[in-house]
Amino acid sequence: MYVAFKEIRRSLGRFTLLSLAVALLVILLLFFQAVAGTLTSGLTGGLESSSADVLVYDVRARLNPANSLIPAPVLTQVSESPDVAAVSPIGLSVFTGTTDGDEIDVQLVGGDPTGPSVPAEIADGRLPQGPGEGLFSGSGFDNPIEIGQTVSVEGIDFEVVGTADDAAFNLLPTLYVTFEDFTSASQNRAGIPIEVAPSLLGVIVVDGADPAEVAEQLTQSIVGIEALERPAAVDALPGVGQITQSFNILYVLLYIVVAIVTGVFFLILTVQKQDALVLLRAIGTGSRDVVTSVLIQVLVVVGAGAVIGTVITAGLLQLTRDVFGASLDSTTTTLSVAAIVVLGLLASVGAVRRVLAIDPMQATRSGAI
Amino acid sequence: MMIGIKELLRQPGRFASVGVALTVLVVLLTVLGGFLDGLELNQTGPYRAHEGRLLVFSEQSENLIQRSELNKAQATQLAEVDGVAAVGALNQIASTASASDGEILDIVLFGYDLATDVLPPPPSDGAVADDAMAESNDVAAGDTLIVGANSEPVIVASVVGDLSQGSPTVWVSTNRWREIVEVSNPAALPPEDVNQALVIEPVPDADLDLLAADLSSIDGISAVTASGAIDSLPVVQQQSTTFEGIIGLTYVVTLLVVALFFALITLERIGLYAVLKAVGAGTKDLMAGISAQAVCVSAVALILGFGISLIFINVLPADLPVRLVPSRLGQIAVGVVFTSIIGSLFSLRRVLRIDPAEAIG
Repeated sequence: MYVAFKEIRRSLGRFTLLSLAVALLVILLLFFQAVAGTLTSGLTGGLESSSADVLVYDVRARLNPANSLIPAPVLTQVSESPDVAAVSPIGLSVFTGTTDGDEIDVQLVGGDPTGPSVPAEIADGRLPQGPGEGLFSGSGFDNPIEIGQTVSVEGIDFEVVGTADDAAFNLLPTLYVTFEDFTSASQNRAGIPIEVAPSLLGVIVVDGADPAEVAEQLTQSIVGIEALERPAAVDALPGVGQITQSFNILYVLLYIVVAIVTGVFFLILTVQKQDALVLLRAIGTGSRDVVTSVLIQVLVVVGAGAVIGTVITAGLLQLTRDVFGASLDSTTTTLSVAAIVVLGLLASVGAVRRVLAIDPMQATRSGAI
Repeated sequence: MMIGIKELLRQPGRFASVGVALTVLVVLLTVLGGFLDGLELNQTGPYRAHEGRLLVFSEQSENLIQRSELNKAQATQLAEVDGVAAVGALNQIASTASASDGEILDIVLFGYDLATDVLPPPPSDGAVADDAMAESNDVAAGDTLIVGANSEPVIVASVVGDLSQGSPTVWVSTNRWREIVEVSNPAALPPEDVNQALVIEPVPDADLDLLAADLSSIDGISAVTASGAIDSLPVVQQQSTTFEGIIGLTYVVTLLVVALFFALITLERIGLYAVLKAVGAGTKDLMAGISAQAVCVSAVALILGFGISLIFINVLPADLPVRLVPSRLGQIAVGVVFTSIIGSLFSLRRVLRIDPAEAIG
C-alpha cells in the first residue's frame, strides 16, 4: 500500500492526467443523466403528479394528450360508470401569453380545481378557486413564475395563486385554470364562440377499487375512448420511451469508455514497471501485496476522477441552470459513481493478470531486468 | 518520421491499447453526432423544404410558427415589396392519421400555398405525405389517410422525402387545412384571414439576406431564411448546445488519452531517443515520428470506429433519431486526427530535455 501511494506521489503528472480523463467522462455521464432527468420529468410531470387515478382519452389519439378530444356525452357516461368516485374534464392547449412584458409559450390545463384535473400535491399557495386564478408549475427549462405574478393569455389575466413541483406538460410553463377560463381563452384565440371539448378526463376511483381494472372496464363499456391507469398513461406519453432509450445507449457507451480508458492505462503502467515488480517479487513481496497496490492505485485514480467530475458537474449545472434547468439527483449520482469505481476495478483485470504472471525467477537471469 | 512508422509496423501490439481506447472514443463521438444530426434533421424537414424561400413570422413570435399570427393586410404589404414574386400561407397543427393498415399515427398537418424545390404545388383535394409514413406504414400515392379526430379522408397525391417534424408530416392546401382543423380541433383554428406564417417566393436571382432585411423592416414582421427559422427553434438550440458541449468534452478526453499514452511511451524510450539524438537526429525528427504514430493510430481507430458505429447504429431500434451524415463523419475524422497530433505534442518537453550524452552513460 505504501509503495502504491509513493508511486502516485512521484509520478503525480501521469496519475493526474488519468484522473482528469476519468473526471471528464464522469462529467459527461452525470450531465447526460441530469439533462435526461429534467427532460423526462418536464414531459411526464403533468400526468405523473396528477390527482387522477385513471385518464380517459379519445381512442383515436393513440394516448397522445395533444391529439385527444373527448365528446361531451362521454363525461356523463364515465361519471355514471361503476367504481368511479369523481370525474373532471381536462383541457390542454398551448397558448402564447405574456408575463412582466415578456412573451412566453404557456400550457393551459383547464379543469375542475376541486376534481381530478390538478396535481395531487401543492408546493406553495393554494388551488385556483374561480375565474382569473391559476396554479403554476414549470419544467426545469423555464424561469419560475411566482405567486402573485400575472400571466395574460388571450385577453384573460391569470393571477398565480399557487405552485406545484414537477407538474408541467410538454416542457412548458404550465398554468392550471378553471375549465371555463380555458374555454374563454380558446374562444378568444379562435375569434368565434366555438365549442371547446376537453382533451382528457381525469377519474378518481372509489376506495378499494383497482384503477387498472376500472380503466379496462371504462374502455370496454364506452365506445370511442381508451382509459389507462395513471402510471400506464405516463409510460405511453409520446417521446418518453425514445428519450429514455437514446440516453440509455449513451450511458452504456460512456461506461464502456470509462472501463477501457482505465483498463488500458493501468495495463500500460504495469507493463512499464514490470522490471520493478519482478524485483519486488524476488525480494519476497507476495503477489497479493503487488495486486493490492495496483487496485489501490485504480481506486485512488478513479475515485478522485469521480469526485472531481461530480463537483465540476454540480457547479456547471448550477451555472447553466437557465439553459438546462437540471441538477444532480443524489441517488443517481451515487449509483453512477459507484458503478464507475466498480467498472474501473473490473477493468484493471488485465493489469492484475500481468502482475500475477510475474515469475520472481526472472530476476536471477542475466539481462532479464 | 520513417522510424516512427517502422516501429508502428513492427510492433503494432504496443499501440493496440491506445488504438482500442481511441476506437471506442470514435464510436462515442459518432453516435453522439448521429443523435445530434438525427434529432435536428428529424425536426426540421418542413423548414428545409423551404430552402431558397423566406419564412415570415410575426415579430413577437421569435420565429416560432406556433406563436406567430399574420393577417391579410400584412400579407398584402409583403407582396408589394420589390423582390417578392409570390406570398403564400403556411399553417400547422399536431394531429393523427390512420393509414390503410389501420394503424393510427401522430402527424403534423401542414396547410400551404406555394410549391418549393421539394414540395409540389398543393394538391387541390389531396395531400402530400412525408416518406416517413411510406417507410413505417407503406403509405403510397392513391392511399386514403383518415386525418384528425373527426376522421377527415385525405387522398395521398404524392410522397416526398425528408419532411418530418418530430412526427411524419402531411401537407394539404390551406383551404383544406382550415376545413380539417375547423371540424377536428376548432379551438386551434386561426381567425379568418389570419395565418400562422407566410412563405415568400423571391424573384429569380434575388439576394435572400437582403430581401429578408427589407421585409423585416416592416412593422411587426420578422423574415428569415429556412436556416434562420431552424436556428430559432428552442429545441434545436438546446439540443445543439447540449450535444456540442458533450462532443467537445469527448475531444478533450481523446486529447488526454493520446497525451497520456505518448507521455508514457516517451518515458519508456528515453534511452533510445538519446542514442538517436547522439547520432544526429533532431528533436524535430523525433517529434515528427511520434506525431506520425499518433496520426496512424488515430486513422486506424477512425476506420474501425466508423465501421463499428455503422453496425451499432443499424442494430438500434428504427424509431431512434440517429442519422449518420457524411459531413459529421468528416468533422470527427479531422477532429480526432488534430486532437491526436496535439496530444502527441505533449511529449515535446520531455523529448527536448533528452541529453544525447545520456547515450554514452
